[in-house]
Amino acid sequence: MNSRTLRVTAALVRDTFREAFARKIFWGFFGCSTALVLFFIFIMRIDVVQGAIATVSLFGNTSRGEDVQRLVRQVHGAIAAFLFTAGMFLAVFASAGLIPSVFEPGRIELLLSKPVERYHILLGRYAGNVLVIAANVLYLVFAIWLIFGIKTGVWTVGFLWSSVLIVYTFAVLLTVVVLVGVLWESAAVTTMVTFGIMIVSPILAQQVTLERLLTSETSRNIVRGAYYALPKVFDLGRIARSLVLGSPIDDWMPVWSSALFGVAVLSTGIYVFARKNY
Amino acid sequence: MSFAIETEGLVKIFRSRWSGKEVRAVDGISLRVERGATFGLLGPNGAGKTTFVKMLLSCARPTQGRAMVFGRDSREAEARRPIGYLPENHRFPTYMTGRGMLDFYGALSGMESAARRKRIPELLAMVGLAEWGDVRLGKYSKGMLQRVGLAQALMHAPSLLILDEPSDGVDPIGRVQIRDILQALEQQGVTIFLNSHLLAEVELFCHDVAIIHRGRVALEGKVKDLTAGSGYRVEAEHVPERVEQELRAKAMAVAQRNGNVEFLFGSRDEANQAVDLLRAEHCAIESMARTASTLEDVFVRTVNEQ
Repeated sequence: MNSRTLRVTAALVRDTFREAFARKIFWGFFGCSTALVLFFIFIMRIDVVQGAIATVSLFGNTSRGEDVQRLVRQVHGAIAAFLFTAGMFLAVFASAGLIPSVFEPGRIELLLSKPVERYHILLGRYAGNVLVIAANVLYLVFAIWLIFGIKTGVWTVGFLWSSVLIVYTFAVLLTVVVLVGVLWESAAVTTMVTFGIMIVSPILAQQVTLERLLTSETSRNIVRGAYYALPKVFDLGRIARSLVLGSPIDDWMPVWSSALFGVAVLSTGIYVFARKNY
Repeated sequence: MSFAIETEGLVKIFRSRWSGKEVRAVDGISLRVERGATFGLLGPNGAGKTTFVKMLLSCARPTQGRAMVFGRDSREAEARRPIGYLPENHRFPTYMTGRGMLDFYGALSGMESAARRKRIPELLAMVGLAEWGDVRLGKYSKGMLQRVGLAQALMHAPSLLILDEPSDGVDPIGRVQIRDILQALEQQGVTIFLNSHLLAEVELFCHDVAIIHRGRVALEGKVKDLTAGSGYRVEAEHVPERVEQELRAKAMAVAQRNGNVEFLFGSRDEANQAVDLLRAEHCAIESMARTASTLEDVFVRTVNEQ
């Protein structure tokens, strides 16, 4: 990658951050994350006795005799679960406007008139969007990890890895935002389609049970096909939970198959964008 | 010799995805713009001007034919490096400041950070927005947006400037300012391609023009040649057929107007001889005047003839 390519990429990423700042997306996430961090710093009090048993105080109510390891992992697990569900929906909702805004008439012509390949414009915007969300997720997870580590002396690396998986899952879902954004140039349609994929994911994750309930072979094939073709948000969430709890992960298929989905969808988005008239 | 802009049989057909209906927005345009020229592209609404410009910038893909910019196929990203462009209905990101916007588009044009930092204050001063650099574009008036848009197009010192309605929304003082900037650029050898509805503006500034109508080049040439049709207009009443035929042979143009006949002669002597003849035949002279053909006359005539 030469210096000119890097310069253009940096400009596109910087522009995405600026737009996220202006739309209050970044500050909204940052504010919520900071509130949670402050909550754990000042409101929740944890006293560790003999390195294993803790007393937890919250709003004056004290719970005694908690296993420290278990307590920390439970809190980490709850935060990871929140980020995987509500956090992911919020991230997609907030990002849905950042991609189609590039295609607005009067803005896209100016971008395309620059000596930059179309795929570069799209990938720069995509990278910027992933980094906006990554910055917020990593800030929250790292801050919580640090606070609990200092307060309890328990440093579980699995929680940090779960944040990487959260950003990864968002990056996969963002490819849908890119493709739908290129095709329809509408934030509303983009949000609906991506939310649809997220909502259908836990249903498809019960693929084995579903197949047992279905009588027609065609229906079973459709469910099986949809399960393998679409990103496995629910399964990735389960893997993140295992990482936090320190449980072994027996199947990495959801990770690589979701990556394949992301690559295929992003490539299609780039192909359509490269051929589109503005 | 490679031209600044050269198109060969450029065609753009838009097809409706559902009905399959076709619209030929550009229908075989072959055009050459010399390096260093000031070229005006004219045409009524929907003539295909903007689609033509979009194909030069590779915003739209030609259905047939090809467009070259300084000898490079316009579809190559490198072909756009020497181009500075100001679109007609631009929508600059309102969250950016004037300075931020110039920095962003300068970076996309491949400029290094130090070069951008040096160039931005120069350009803001040039377009009269030196004190507005740190204000968000959302606070700018339309005229100010147009001026900062021009600064954006000039950011990387392009050799070809493509301007779509550059004076749109700009007050008369601002227009003069823009014209001065463009004249200075012309003297520096920058090729200027102006797409404008303001015929007087094109006539004042451009040396070459092309009139596009229904996706085709209806007329092309030097402004001074196209507007050279000045002469003397004689309008008379009750002109006998024999006299009309005699004068028709000498006149540059003849038109029927409310029962009167209007002759256009190239010289004063011809006009006076015609008046003598008409008076001898007892025809009433309705009017006699010197005329000068403007670009507007040429435009209207060309479009009406098609």
